[in-house]
Amino acid sequence: MEGIKQNPIVKKLGFNRIILFCILVLLYVAFSIAIPGFAGMARIMSILNYVYFLGFLALGVTFVIATGGIDFSIGPVMFCCALIAGYSLNTYKLPVAAALLLSIVIGFCFGIFNGWLVAFVGVPPFIVSMASMNIAKGLGSVFTKTQSVSWPQANDPEGRGWFRNLVKVGGVPTGLIIFAIFVVILFIIMNNTKPGRYILSLGSNKEAVRLSGVNVRKWQMLAYVICGTLVGIAAIFFVGAYTTVQPGLGDTYNNEAIASCVMGGTSMAGGLASIGGTVIGVFVISLLQEGIMALRMTKEVQMIITGLIVIVFVYADVSARRRKN
Amino acid sequence: MGEVILTMKGIDKSFPGVHALDHVDLELRKGEVHALMGENGAGKSTLMKVLTGIYTKDSGTITFEGKEVEFHNTHEAQEAGIVIVHQELNMVGDLTVAQNIFIGREFKKGIMIDDKKMIAESRKLFDELHIDIDPKAKMSDLTVGKQQMCEIAKAISHKAKVIIFDEPSAALTEKEIEDLFVIIRDLRKQNLGIIYISHRMDEIKVITDRVTVMRDGGYVGTLITEECTKEDIINMMVGRVIYEDPKTHSMVPDDAPVVLKVEHLNAGKMVQDVSFELKKGEILGFSGLMGAGRTETARALFGADPKTGGDIYINGQKVTINSPEDAVKHGIGYLSEDRKRYGIVVQKTITENSTMATMEKFTSGLFINKGAEKKAAEQYIKELATKTPSADELVVNLSGGNQQKVVIAKWLVRNCDILIFDEPTRGIDVGAKNEIYKLMNRLAAEGKSIIMISSEMTEILRMSDRIVVMCEGKKTGEIRIEDATQEAIMDKATRDIN
Repeated sequence: MEGIKQNPIVKKLGFNRIILFCILVLLYVAFSIAIPGFAGMARIMSILNYVYFLGFLALGVTFVIATGGIDFSIGPVMFCCALIAGYSLNTYKLPVAAALLLSIVIGFCFGIFNGWLVAFVGVPPFIVSMASMNIAKGLGSVFTKTQSVSWPQANDPEGRGWFRNLVKVGGVPTGLIIFAIFVVILFIIMNNTKPGRYILSLGSNKEAVRLSGVNVRKWQMLAYVICGTLVGIAAIFFVGAYTTVQPGLGDTYNNEAIASCVMGGTSMAGGLASIGGTVIGVFVISLLQEGIMALRMTKEVQMIITGLIVIVFVYADVSARRRKN
Repeated sequence: MGEVILTMKGIDKSFPGVHALDHVDLELRKGEVHALMGENGAGKSTLMKVLTGIYTKDSGTITFEGKEVEFHNTHEAQEAGIVIVHQELNMVGDLTVAQNIFIGREFKKGIMIDDKKMIAESRKLFDELHIDIDPKAKMSDLTVGKQQMCEIAKAISHKAKVIIFDEPSAALTEKEIEDLFVIIRDLRKQNLGIIYISHRMDEIKVITDRVTVMRDGGYVGTLITEECTKEDIINMMVGRVIYEDPKTHSMVPDDAPVVLKVEHLNAGKMVQDVSFELKKGEILGFSGLMGAGRTETARALFGADPKTGGDIYINGQKVTINSPEDAVKHGIGYLSEDRKRYGIVVQKTITENSTMATMEKFTSGLFINKGAEKKAAEQYIKELATKTPSADELVVNLSGGNQQKVVIAKWLVRNCDILIFDEPTRGIDVGAKNEIYKLMNRLAAEGKSIIMISSEMTEILRMSDRIVVMCEGKKTGEIRIEDATQEAIMDKATRDIN
């Protein structure tokens, strides 16, 4: 076992990530055996729809968790973006491109708000994100007058359905390509750039980084801004796949995104983050969701499972640290 | 003074790599205030921890009220009647005075806590001590002095026979100290045995009956306070040992330019009106006892803590330093006394730690040039002889001395002209210590200027070209290395400036 762990290729990819990938494959096989007709492109496309928006959420929150923080507002903020942008599109006749941009801008603003409060004002991330979760829910409801918002269909007579091409064109999963590009970019930011270096370092020992002459507040805030922006993008993929958004919801996706991160090896204590691990985690959660639905169980069952996943993986992380010390 | 109540004989205690107590003796009588003195690290606290059961002794005997005893925790010691009033007060700010005094042993009425009885009992205690404190007051509303009185009341409520005061006056005002002494004299009259740990020579003369001096974990001797002078005690504290090659003269030419000038630096109680100059190529030692404000001065200078006043000039230019970022921009590097908390990011590699302060040199646009970064790290691994399998090793896996070298590398990569070394050899073994000394000398010879804060007298005398001595937040002296002796430094370090 130790020998395998020391293998340079295994080390590079990460032992835990390889295990998680195996779990993903086994899970898929298990569902395929247990549920007739589960295997096949139709299910995979359905899983991918879930992967896109959850992926952007999870990648975003990976940056925040890397700083040692947490963001419980991502799900509701995603809905808030989709609601306000969609409502503007339908009611104020905003062009589609502008609506998409608006969604990203709203996410970006939430990122600035959260990041500023955490990094510069010094409010604990837990409190900040709980508050902005409610603000996001309230804002979405007020703006839409508590009506659900439906984005244009693919066959929209005014031709506004083109944004769905971001998700898929015919049978081609374009969303996967876009998602993959983002994964690569975010991987590079996390591992090969100054912002990524500082975000990870300050997550591990903020005071030591500050005493190295680094403006830690700026970089801590940046993590939240990156997160918020990705949440705005997640909103686009959500409506591209599921069309309708209701105000006052979105919290369940927080847990799923955070579960994806911790499964992938991102430490809740900060300082350690894996973009690749988060991506695999997102696939596992999306597959679970699809499988549970196919087994005709309810969303609630899935909530129980993701809840347990978070506890198990955080416990594993904490006890691994304790052993090291 | 009455009969002997407590005898510690031949107490020996070792920690890995350190012989903390070497056959130490201590005798305490009833109705006596007995001072325990010694430099930082002389073993006073360790001895008291052995007495109160926090540490287990390796050998030796403790005789209390005629019986040999061994306590396994502070609770057992308390039960027997030995309590310690800590320097750091252990009070819960949001609870009332009475609740604090009886915490963990609350009076109950059925399953309910009997607050009335606790208040009544507290009042009785305060009356005994002639203290005027409302037992219903919230602890955090009291002054530090009053909180200390509560600690004492709490100690008495344990039916204490021996009370240990660990630097009780450190945080008190003059008036509060007087009040404290009234209480201590009162306790003495009640025939309690009192051990009094303090650095303040003048207090020792005023309040104590006998003095036991420790040095380097060993017992030096016991004097009767009335019969000895301050100088006698200092001589016993520093000893007559000839330390290895102290510097005999300054390496800095008289006309060397001043690179750093600090004027009237103020930052809270621990940094009061501190001024000094640092010359090019100089190692300026900062000596003083624990809590003298040396680290606080360094941190205020470096912008790590806010300052309330003072001017800083670098190469004659007045500069503004409000954050470590500013300090680093002006070429100052700071090695903290607490490496793990403030120096290194343990979960990161040597490379990542080495370039932490100099990112811009290793980035083009946003991207880190990992090759160049690693090369720089490897250069300093070689130069500083850091023992590690590779530059990719996580810092957490290195020994203390090698971790320290990584922190030094961080500032050398940055090429800082002014380096603040705060306790650079703390927790480092002897071999690595020498390497760090050599390195500091080399850096000074290369024209870097170094401020070295050290609590080790040998280190100060061996490394410094000039010595600044601090006591209680103030600069109490400046000594040329040619004139420096341990006695001279200790005299200034214990100067009571109140």
